[in-house]
Amino acid sequence: MTTPQHQTIHEQVSLPVSVALEVVLQGIRIRLGRSIVTILGVALGIAFLMSILTTQLVTQGVSDEEKTRTELVRMLSFLTADTGPLHERTLGVIQAGPLNPLETRFLQTIREQGLTRLQWTLLNKSLPAPKDADVVDLPAVAKDASAVIVVGDGDSSAVDWSAVLAPARQKVIAITRPNTSATQTFAGGTLVTLSRELRADEKVSLAAAEKRERARSIWIIVVSLLVTVIGISNSMLMSVTERFREIGTMKCLGALSSFIRRLFLIESTLIGTMGALLGVAFGILFPVLLYSSSYGFGMVFSSLSWGTLGIYGLFSLVVGVLLSMVAAVYPARFASRMVPAAALRSNI
Amino acid sequence: MSLTAQEKLADLFAEPAAGQRRTIIRAVDVKKVYRMGTQEVHALRGATLDIFQGEYLSIMGPSGSGKSTLFNAIGGLSKPSSGKVYINQVDVAQLDHNELAWLRCRTIGYIFQSYNLIQVMTCLENVTLPMAFAGLESEEARDKGLHILKLVGLGHRALHKPAELSGGQQQRCAIARALANSPEIILADEPTANLDLRTGEEMIDLLAKLKVELNVTIVSATHDLKMLQKSDRIVWIADGVIVKTAHPSEIDFSKGEVH
Ligand SMILES: Nc1ncnc2c1ncn2[C@@H]1O[C@H](COP(=O)(O)OP(=O)(O)O)[C@@H](O)[C@H]1O
Ligand SMILES: [Mg+2]
Repeated sequence: MTTPQHQTIHEQVSLPVSVALEVVLQGIRIRLGRSIVTILGVALGIAFLMSILTTQLVTQGVSDEEKTRTELVRMLSFLTADTGPLHERTLGVIQAGPLNPLETRFLQTIREQGLTRLQWTLLNKSLPAPKDADVVDLPAVAKDASAVIVVGDGDSSAVDWSAVLAPARQKVIAITRPNTSATQTFAGGTLVTLSRELRADEKVSLAAAEKRERARSIWIIVVSLLVTVIGISNSMLMSVTERFREIGTMKCLGALSSFIRRLFLIESTLIGTMGALLGVAFGILFPVLLYSSSYGFGMVFSSLSWGTLGIYGLFSLVVGVLLSMVAAVYPARFASRMVPAAALRSNI
Repeated sequence: MSLTAQEKLADLFAEPAAGQRRTIIRAVDVKKVYRMGTQEVHALRGATLDIFQGEYLSIMGPSGSGKSTLFNAIGGLSKPSSGKVYINQVDVAQLDHNELAWLRCRTIGYIFQSYNLIQVMTCLENVTLPMAFAGLESEEARDKGLHILKLVGLGHRALHKPAELSGGQQQRCAIARALANSPEIILADEPTANLDLRTGEEMIDLLAKLKVELNVTIVSATHDLKMLQKSDRIVWIADGVIVKTAHPSEIDFSKGEVH
C-alpha cells in the first residue's frame, strides 16, 4: 500500500522570551533613529508632566520660604524693639519641649546676630542638647541676659519668673507660643509675644486662597496628564502602525500572535522606560535651573520638598511606562489578530 | 464535472493510483466576497483546483482577476467566504491559530510581488527569522541560511540590508527566505511584476531549478506570459472564475495575449 506520506500539522513552538528580547534589541538598534524619535516622544510627554509638577513644588517651596523669612524678620524686630540690637549681648533660652521649624529657624537667626553668649536651659532633660549654646541650669539662664526667650511645646508653669529674671540685665521675656504660662505669673518686666495669631477674617481669606490654589494645581496637573497621554499614545501608535506590514510578514513566516504581542510589549516597555527616565530627569532639571536663575540656587534647593519631588518623579515614571505599554500593545494585539493577508495589504 | 460533497470527500481521501501524482493542495469551490461598506466585491466566484506535489503551476490572469485572493486562500493567509481548502489533505479551516502558524512556517514558503523583506534585518537575518520561528538554534540557522543564500546566488550579499540590494537581489533573498524551513510548497504572487524582463526571467529560471533540485511544488500567480514557458501547467482565472487549464506545449506563445 502506498500511503501518501503527508505531514500532520503540529502546534507551532512557542519561542522563549530571550528570543523575543533579542529580536527587540536588534530592532531597536537597527531602527535607532526611529527608536530615538519614539523615545523622545515619550520623554517629551513625561518631561512636560514632570516639569509642571516640579514647578508647582518649587514655587510652593519658594513662597513658603519667603513667608518664613518675612516672619523671622518680624519676630526679630519685635524682640530688638525691647532689647536693642543683639550684637555682643547675652541671651537666655528656656526650652520647654520640642521646637517647631519656625522656632528652630528663629533661634538660628538669633545666633547669627553676633551674641556674646547664648545660655540655654532644657526644662525637660530628655530633649537633645542644643548646638552652639551654653547649657546652664535654670537659675543661671538669665544671668546678664538682655532677654529670655521661652520656646518649645511643653509646660513651663513651674518656673518662678521673677526669680529667674532677677540676675538679668534687662527684664524681658519673649515667648514664641501664646499659651506659655509666663503671661500669668510674670510682672515687673516686659513680655514680648513673638508669635502672631491670625485674625478670624485673615484665617478665612487664607483658607480660601489655599483652596483656590489647590483647585488650580489639580487642574494644571490634569491637563498636563492629558497632554502627556495624547503625546505618548501618538508616538507609540505611530511606531506600531507603521509596522503592520512587518507584522503580517512575520505571521506569514510562522510567527505566533502571542510572540508578536510579546515583541511589542518588551519593546514598548524598554522604550517607555528610557523615555520616561529621560523625561523625569529633564522635567526636574529644567524648572529647577530656571527658578534657580531667578531666586538663587540656595533658595530653591533648601526650600524644595525633595521627598514629594521623588514621589512625583516615581509617579511620572510609572505613568510613562504604563502609557507606552498600553499604547503599543493595543495596536499590536489588533495587528497580530488580523489575518496575514489583511496586515500585508495595510499601508497605514 | 460536478461532484456532490460526499463524492468530493471520497475522492479526496482516495489513494492516488499508480503513476498519478499526489494532490498537495486542493481548493474546492472557493468563494471570496469582500465587503466594503454596502458594496460587495466578488473576488472569487467558486474556484476548484487541484495542485499536485512537485509541479510548477502558473495561475494566469489579468490584474484584478482574483489571483492574489486565490493565492491567499490556498496559502492559509486569509479565510475564504465559502468553500474548502485542503493542504496535505488537512482542511485549513479546521486549524487553530497555532497550527496555522506551524503550517505557514514549515509547509509553505511565500514570495510576494513587493518582496516584503523586513527592512531592518540583513538578508541572512531575514532568512533565519522563519528558522527561529521553527525553533532552530541560531548557530545552525546561520549555517543553513548561508547555504540557502548561496543556493539562490546571494551568498556574497548575506550581510546586506534589503535597501542595499537591487530588486532582483531582494527577490532572491525573499526566495531564500521562503525556502528557509524546507517547505513542500512555494507560493509566489507575481514574483516578477516589479522586476525588469531579464531579472524576471532569471527569477523564473531560479524557481524552476529549485523545483527540480528540492522537489518543491511551486504555485506562481502571474500575468506575465514569459513566466509560463517553464511551468508544468497553467490555470487561467478571469473575474474570479477558473476558465481554462492547459500545458504550455498546447499554447502558441507567439500569439501574444493568450486566452
Ligand atoms: N482586501 C480587499 N478588500 C476589498 N476588495 C479587495 C480586497 N482584495 C482584493 N479585492 C478586490 O478583489 C478583486 C481581486 O483582487 P486580487 O485578488 O488582488 O486580484 P489580482 O491579484 O489578480 O490582481 C479586485 O477587484 C480587488 O479590488
Ligand atoms: Mg495580485
